[in-house]
Amino acid sequence: MTELALRMTGADFLKIRKKRSILIWALVLAFAPVIIFLVANGLLNESPSLSDGLNVLARLFGPLAAILVGVEAGTTDSSNGVLRDLIVTGRSRLALFASRVPAALALCWLVNLGAYALLAVGTIALARDGTPTPSAELIVNALLFTALTTGAVCVVAVGFASLVDSKPGAIIALIAWQIVASPLIVAIEPLGRARDGVLSQALTHFSPVGFESGRHAGRILTMSTGTAVLVVLAWLVVFLALGAWRTRTMDA
Amino acid sequence: MDSDLAVETHGLTKRFGARTALDGVDLRVPRGCAFGFLGPNGAGKTTMIRTLLGLTHASAGSMWVLGHPVPAERAVALQRVGAIVEEPRFHPHLSGRENLHVVAAVRCPETEERIAPALARVGLSERADEKVKSYSMGMRQRLGVARCLLADPLLLILDEPTNGLDPAGIQEFRVMIRALVEQEGRTVFLSSHLLDEVEKTCDAAAIVDRGKIVTQGPIAEISRGGDGARNELIVGVDDVDSALRVLAVSELVHESTRSDDGVRVVLSGAPETAAGVNAELVRAGVGVVRLEPVRHSLEQRFLEITARLDEKAPEEVRT
Repeated sequence: MTELALRMTGADFLKIRKKRSILIWALVLAFAPVIIFLVANGLLNESPSLSDGLNVLARLFGPLAAILVGVEAGTTDSSNGVLRDLIVTGRSRLALFASRVPAALALCWLVNLGAYALLAVGTIALARDGTPTPSAELIVNALLFTALTTGAVCVVAVGFASLVDSKPGAIIALIAWQIVASPLIVAIEPLGRARDGVLSQALTHFSPVGFESGRHAGRILTMSTGTAVLVVLAWLVVFLALGAWRTRTMDA
Repeated sequence: MDSDLAVETHGLTKRFGARTALDGVDLRVPRGCAFGFLGPNGAGKTTMIRTLLGLTHASAGSMWVLGHPVPAERAVALQRVGAIVEEPRFHPHLSGRENLHVVAAVRCPETEERIAPALARVGLSERADEKVKSYSMGMRQRLGVARCLLADPLLLILDEPTNGLDPAGIQEFRVMIRALVEQEGRTVFLSSHLLDEVEKTCDAAAIVDRGKIVTQGPIAEISRGGDGARNELIVGVDDVDSALRVLAVSELVHESTRSDDGVRVVLSGAPETAAGVNAELVRAGVGVVRLEPVRHSLEQRFLEITARLDEKAPEEVRT
């Protein structure tokens, strides 16, 4: 990154990091389920499984925290009426949009990977005698999986929020998509392979642990790695392009 | 394009659907002065500013800012421009200093060094680390100017800068604008619907109404009504009827009428001919107790112009 890009990203990071309400809710969404998961296993005298914890964090609640952070990054300038003051500096609108993405990712990962660290440590520390603890390789792969699922959703949220330019609208739509529409679409079997286009399903393909369809994991579709990569890239490219287009063309 | 001008536009037009907000505007803003962009609400002032700054696209016409064509060289043109469009807006959850940091990060690297001097320049150093949501309107306006100063601007564009300020704040703001022009040699382009504000603050102005520039030039010239302006006198006399008879046949006088405080005289020539009028009255035995040039105000001129436009286009509805 150039020095300018770093400065702009730093400024965008400052804007969202200092937004206390968003930060608190993102922390709650990322950490509270992990803490509850670990405490519940402790109360039941069971060893917490990294697989179950990963399902809770990387597939369910981490993406919700990522949505909050991404939407805040995508809308904070325009919702506060500051976008025009940045545009009148002469800086390109695309550059203004682009700096939101790494800033959002930085905060999203800070929050979610912090929660993952707690999960990994808790999984090892609370393991009962005789229960195997996760290997170092699995811990690293699960970390990367958490970064992938939350990062991808965060980037989509930045693009979508920049497109719709409404913070509440974007949050409601994305959370509804994530926790209501996506599982519903996946459950509609007549849709066949079209269901592979659901982002959360494509991301799940990269999990280092096997999630089985069921009460906790929901329905899991199997697809090829190539399809999963294409689906994830398509979501990222489409929403980044739409967000950039809107930022470039809107009347500020 | 004239390099002595801070802003120049030719035939600038902006349409929103069927409505024309700017209608072939030819504007010339000289460098190194405070320039008022005066017009009633809805006349097109903010649209003009937004178009100049690239916040919205022009429908037709050409424009130059600090000698650079925009939008072609917009980035270069705006490097030395500071602007407040409508009310100054900030991230309320950040401090004043952090808000300036956000804008400085988008400008060139040396902008960071200007944050502290800019805050000092507007008298906000002591409260710079408080969150902006705790700032008064006046403080926000001053922070807005500080944000403009980060560009070390050759041109400041301020849209209705005294809106929401109390009288003391307005006075303070006026002094600051004059200092920016007189002490620092910057150009200030100030839009306002307040005639008094423009008259007291600016050296030159343009009057805009319904998207068109009605007149532009130095304030004194506009107030007088341009080069062909009328030179008027109020003459206090001891006998109004006799004075009117004398003035009716005088070659120095274009028109004379009775007024509350004597006789109102429109001179045929330059203001200096007032001495001749005095001499003619005295020679005719009329006692002259007062001879005072009529000072034309911008307000008077503005009302004359807009009234004339109303007569010309009664069917138009002001937007």
